[in-house]
Amino acid sequence: MGPGDLRKVLHLLPPGEVREEILVGLDTPDDAAVFRLDGERALIHTLDFFTPIVDDPYLFGQIAAANALSDIFAMGGNPVSAMNIVCFPCSLGMDILAEILRGGMEKVREAGAVLLGGHTVDDDEPKYGLAVTGLIHPDRVMTCLGARDGDSLVLTKPLGTGILATALKGDFISEEDMAEAIRGMAALNREASRAALEAGAHACTDVTGFGFLGHLLNMLPEEGLGCVVHASSLPLYPLTREMASMGMIPAGAYRNRDFVEEWVEWSPEVEDTDRMILLDPQTSGGLLVALSPQGLQVFSGLLKEGREWSRVGEFVSSPRRSIMVEP
Amino acid sequence: MDEVVDARGLSCPLPVVKTREALQRGLTRLEVLVDNATARDNVSRFASSQGCRVEVSEEGGTFRLRLEKAGPGAAGTATAFQAAEAAPSPSSHGTAVLISSDIMGRGDEELGRILLKAFLNTLAENDPLPWRVVLFNRGVLLAVGGADSVPALSNLAGLGVEVLVCGTCLDFFGVKDKVAVGTVSNMYEILNTMLMASNSITI
Repeated sequence: MGPGDLRKVLHLLPPGEVREEILVGLDTPDDAAVFRLDGERALIHTLDFFTPIVDDPYLFGQIAAANALSDIFAMGGNPVSAMNIVCFPCSLGMDILAEILRGGMEKVREAGAVLLGGHTVDDDEPKYGLAVTGLIHPDRVMTCLGARDGDSLVLTKPLGTGILATALKGDFISEEDMAEAIRGMAALNREASRAALEAGAHACTDVTGFGFLGHLLNMLPEEGLGCVVHASSLPLYPLTREMASMGMIPAGAYRNRDFVEEWVEWSPEVEDTDRMILLDPQTSGGLLVALSPQGLQVFSGLLKEGREWSRVGEFVSSPRRSIMVEP
Repeated sequence: MDEVVDARGLSCPLPVVKTREALQRGLTRLEVLVDNATARDNVSRFASSQGCRVEVSEEGGTFRLRLEKAGPGAAGTATAFQAAEAAPSPSSHGTAVLISSDIMGRGDEELGRILLKAFLNTLAENDPLPWRVVLFNRGVLLAVGGADSVPALSNLAGLGVEVLVCGTCLDFFGVKDKVAVGTVSNMYEILNTMLMASNSITI
């Protein structure tokens, strides 16, 4: 569902309960919720599931799990346990489902968590994902809000998964052509999360369905802060630009554009194709991290610039909530 | 009467897939009907990338896209269509230089290597520069670290010439991690380079 529709639905609901244990709940745009147990520990809850993005069932399982686990890492937590969520047409063959689950289970184990169970529903179109529980110190929760004037914005995975998945669906590319994106989607955000914590990140979120700009917008408060983005510094998976220019752009990117447009000022030099790439919904995207100049130094000592992260913009004081996209 | 591709009721990427099928059958003029803005924009984008002019009209929730492939035969009628506001037509792409070997010509191998290096150096001095240099089969060995021709290829890349290196070929020769210049590419892009280049030179 697009960000605009989701907001409309949430407005129809009564406001979320206010309890002091709820550190992150319905009232913030974070993808996970945080519930304090005591002075030392808080639980992080999140869930995510979706339809296959690649044909290989094992890889799909890995990607879906990495994507679900990512919400825990975006907050700086450690995943502890996970439960499968499965919709599957029995006619498709149980060996395929077993491969999906094997991929998911291995990824959960890699993340240091255990898979405890799950629930399956018979459905025409397969869907898979997980509900994940994590632990975190209540004073060390990273959320999407908190960036300050002068902070650098870094991104820890390339963009383009929605465009490439569309091109794969349209037979414009093969799964081999998108091998790098598949590796990227199946990769955990764990190391990036640890580096962000160690660097004292002011804010952190992961890039998923609302695209780079949609999630960046979530990092900006109602007023007082803007962000300058350098479009050419954004890392892209191979073939992303070619496929975007050939119209392999998912409907979600257009929905994201309608949602963020009000707050985005495009430099006329930024080409239309590049604009759509910044709006492309991502599966298991990287972390967006706001870092002070000192934090950036610590971060760059922990992860390799270029390969593991790129500096893609900076936060600036601005009366109006705004994202300025420069070439 | 132009052929009509009815892509109403279809969601992305199917309208683009159907448009591509029609163009691949050799049609130079066609109409595409779609019923959502995403499909309208994506089909327009695709058509522009294939060197087509696009004219869009809307009636009753249906978008009618009139596509005309610009080409030598179509030049006379092209004026009937408004120019697409999107990217310039790919027919503005220049020459593609296709290199399938690490030597130039048949005969002495040592001489062939010297000639190829000289060819690449001369290519960089030529005006206009080629659009792309595509390396495949043994040609990929030219881009591997330590090869004589790496400086010449780097020079071309520095001048803005895109150097594409066939990934399958690199895998075959077991040198994928040794590429020193160019972008690792695939058959899809290589084929499109051949199709979209204004002309090509094969070595």
